[in-house]
Amino acid sequence: MGEMTIKAEGLEFAMERVFNAPKQKVFAAFTECEHLKHWWGPRGWELTACDLDFRPEGSWHYCMTCKDESQGEFFGMESWGKSVYRAIDAPNSFVYTDYFSDAEGNINAEMPPSDTTLVFEEFEGGTKVVSRTLYDSEESLKTVIDMGMEHGIRETWDRLDEYMGR
Amino acid sequence: MALFAALAEPSRMRIVSLLRSGSLSVGEIAERLQIRQPQASKHLKVLQQAGIVEVEADANRRHYRLRAEPFEELEIWAKGYRELWNERFDRLDDYLKRMQD
Repeated sequence: MGEMTIKAEGLEFAMERVFNAPKQKVFAAFTECEHLKHWWGPRGWELTACDLDFRPEGSWHYCMTCKDESQGEFFGMESWGKSVYRAIDAPNSFVYTDYFSDAEGNINAEMPPSDTTLVFEEFEGGTKVVSRTLYDSEESLKTVIDMGMEHGIRETWDRLDEYMGR
Repeated sequence: MALFAALAEPSRMRIVSLLRSGSLSVGEIAERLQIRQPQASKHLKVLQQAGIVEVEADANRRHYRLRAEPFEELEIWAKGYRELWNERFDRLDDYLKRMQD
């Protein structure tokens, strides 16, 4: 589970999971604030802002806030992101570019974006979700990883998650 | 270290794939890839500068082999991505179960 492929365009990571729920429900869970607020992000972080316009070139402006006191310096921290939808084929797939953002919805051009494709397939009575994320340059990844490493916490990848704006 | 620039070229990717089975000389690489030796040399130089391959000094024969470090780094990144999405998927799984109860 979990593949990494080096492509000419950059580094692609892929993950898949099968959920015991109908495809429409799973698709909705990924594309509606009402559902996203219940699960998007690492444990202890909540979606405290969610403004989603699900159409090509529409965007999802959101904020993750750490509500977990046991996460030390992260407690209370806010992380804003903006996903811009590129292609949508409901309820089968969609593609978006994820950016670092701020409360006003500005895109932070100095931080690396990434492109993610999500595919939903009926599978053995449930739904298989495949996620593929492409990072288009080594510098992008290095920036994100360096930020994660600086703080030297066990949940480096939750930190990665935070800085990816998710 | 321009890892991607070094890897993001089809012939160099093929060289990397070849070397996964063991070290090879320039001549062996050129032959297997069906390219001319100077071309193979050029690609190997780029890979060497990027820290992806190194030369084994073995008597008179220069063999090229992969260095583990860049791939270990990439594997760390891959691990991070997996953990990130696993945690998300775990939470989604819990949520979908609650939704349907």
